[in-house]
Amino acid sequence: MTLHVAFRVGSGEYAVDARDVLHLETFTQATHVPGAPEFVAGLVQVRGKLVPVVDLRTRFGVTAGQRTLDNRVIVVKVGARVAGLLVDSARDIVQLDESTFEPPPELVGDQSAGFIKAVASSAQRLLLIVDVPRVIGEEVRHA
Amino acid sequence: MSEIDIQEFVGGFIAEADQLVAAATAGLLELEMANDRGEARPKTVRDLFRALHTIKGLSGMMGIQPIVDIAHAFETVVRAADQRGGRIAPRAVELGLIAMRAVAERVRAVADRQPIAAPPEALLDELARVETLGETTSAPTPAIISSWDRKLSAGERQQIATALGERRSVYTLTFTPSDANSARGITIATVRADVGKLGEIVKVAPRAVPQTDDAPAGLVFELLVISDATTSALAEAVASTPDRVVPLAALEPPELATLPVDDEISPIGRSYVRVELDRLDDLQEQLSGLVVSRFRFEREVANLAATGADVRALREITDAQERQLRALRRGILRARMVRVAEVLEPLSLLVRSLVKPGIKEVRLALDVGDTELDKAVGDRLLPAIVHLVRNAIDHAIEPIVERERIGKPRAGQIVIKCRQGAGNRLVLSVADDGRGIDREQIARRSGRQTVDDSDLLDVLTTPGFSTRDHATETSGRGLGMDIVRRIAVRDLGGELKISTTPGAGTTFELEVPLTIAIIDVFSFECSKQAFVVPVAAIEEIFELSEHRRIEGPVADPGRLPISICERRGRTVPIIPLGMMLRLGETAGAHKALVVRRGGEPLAFAVDRMLGRHEVVVRPIEDILARVPGVAGATDLGDGRPTLLLDLVELGASITTWRAGYSS
Repeated sequence: MTLHVAFRVGSGEYAVDARDVLHLETFTQATHVPGAPEFVAGLVQVRGKLVPVVDLRTRFGVTAGQRTLDNRVIVVKVGARVAGLLVDSARDIVQLDESTFEPPPELVGDQSAGFIKAVASSAQRLLLIVDVPRVIGEEVRHA
Repeated sequence: MSEIDIQEFVGGFIAEADQLVAAATAGLLELEMANDRGEARPKTVRDLFRALHTIKGLSGMMGIQPIVDIAHAFETVVRAADQRGGRIAPRAVELGLIAMRAVAERVRAVADRQPIAAPPEALLDELARVETLGETTSAPTPAIISSWDRKLSAGERQQIATALGERRSVYTLTFTPSDANSARGITIATVRADVGKLGEIVKVAPRAVPQTDDAPAGLVFELLVISDATTSALAEAVASTPDRVVPLAALEPPELATLPVDDEISPIGRSYVRVELDRLDDLQEQLSGLVVSRFRFEREVANLAATGADVRALREITDAQERQLRALRRGILRARMVRVAEVLEPLSLLVRSLVKPGIKEVRLALDVGDTELDKAVGDRLLPAIVHLVRNAIDHAIEPIVERERIGKPRAGQIVIKCRQGAGNRLVLSVADDGRGIDREQIARRSGRQTVDDSDLLDVLTTPGFSTRDHATETSGRGLGMDIVRRIAVRDLGGELKISTTPGAGTTFELEVPLTIAIIDVFSFECSKQAFVVPVAAIEEIFELSEHRRIEGPVADPGRLPISICERRGRTVPIIPLGMMLRLGETAGAHKALVVRRGGEPLAFAVDRMLGRHEVVVRPIEDILARVPGVAGATDLGDGRPTLLLDLVELGASITTWRAGYSS
């Protein structure tokens, strides 16, 4: 069993492995970075560090919603990189049994460009397990 | 040094190490002869120490631990000899010669890319022992026993000095407790009593020694005694032999004895502490916190003033704080400064490893005086200089045959100069006397004619541009130049210039800030977003409404429209910054920020100026937010990042800008 952070983007429920998560932050505003990829909401300052925030609504092709007080930034660490995932809300920490993970239906996998690496069911709900390195743009290569 | 392939230093290391081993060996042979004549050679010992210390340092840099270990072990012995006024036991000299052979063998192994053998255990063992027995193995001639110096109080020191002044004899006696001695009823208590009858005991100190048959307890007692008795009487009192009675000629001056000699020989007269850069960074981080909270405070004061409150007393405090912060900042910056000469030290090693004796020779001259710069800047700058030097050797300097044919001196010359420029900036130039850059060739390769030097630099620093078809041994594919520009301009907020004369050589000039930690910026607003730019980058700021502007034509609607105005007798192009950055609607641009790009003025239209601040700039590390034209971000006191723009870099992408694309 591994701990996962469950969150919501649009109508979908997702989860990331808690071992990749540094902390959760409330979200008010990010500094727009001209020229950065569209899915980058901007830069925030977290504990003295500059962290780029990926807007998962844009990233997942969900229509932009109103910012609410529930918005959270899930600060993740992948290798040496630290980035934030902007989500609609993040409330639960759930225990998931990785051996029960199913690969996403092929069509879903293709259509989401590999953002989803598995599907898990927990307490009668479906959670899509997010491939964090993919989502924070391992394919992005500029500079 | 991250950008430098360590293999490239190997050649230089071998040359340097060979030379040092040869020097050390010669020194040891000289010491051997001096020992035979009963003379001391303090200077030779000190030179030997330096050679060993350098061997150790170089090997450490290369990560060759076996050589580090051998050099360290022998260095310890030599340091002890140095502290004894340059006297070194004959056995120690022999061991030193063995150690140097062991080092030489391992240097060969490095050259042949063979595995490097571990240090000989027996040698290290004996070196460790010879060190501790140094005092007793040396001949019983007058010696300076500095081991006492650290243990003596001022009063005891005075007592010795007086005795020596009265030409009385002072000795160090060593009593070794052993089973045999205790069987004969001899203990340190009886020794004290017996010696006390022969003279004045100044001090008794226990000392740990390696366990041997002679010293089964691993412990000896040293007695410092003023006595007129014979050495044999004294020896008998400590159950020893007269050759173990060591006369003390003089005490070393106390300031010598208390100098730290652990890691290097410090120049006398100045004292140093070595501080990790991390600690200074930490201090600076604290300072930046203070700077930010002062911004906040000042803003609150301004808010208070806006309500009509009397804030004169508060203003006095904030003014004082500003001065104090400035002083504190200066102090910390001074602590971070290192000499440019020190930063560039690895270059001579590099050059030596890159030249091919008899085919291409190069002399490196450093003309950098006593200029200093921030350690952090120096560390970032070095890879850029390495690239330039490497390029010069590889591409610019001609082979000897060619140089002699055209009447140039046989060896090529690379001169690195530096001076402190205006506005806390350092100007560093790398000049070679090679063939210069062939514009025709560059034009053929890039498909672009270059009209002047700055144009040429643009082509040379285009990522991926190379003047060579094949990768060369030292310069790779000539990819260095964009890296040099990136380091100078983007990483350090500086400038890179070039001037080249065909046949006569090329000079690169880097202008970088002396320190990158805190900079002066202007803040401004553009399409409701705040930005900052370095004050040093801005030539002037003018009011747009005061000038007649002419809209320049655009070839197609997708291009960035540029207007022109006249300023101080020159036409200045004006770039709509908000549009260029795709920031959306602007309330109307009122101000123009003028920068200089390749000598030409270039203005950016912005909505309004906000202020001037001293800020701490943080680098943007993640690729998601690293974009051309954004050099970093800072906190103006609101807890949110404000982007630091590099307008000169932005200026470079004007011609490739197209509406609708995002970079």
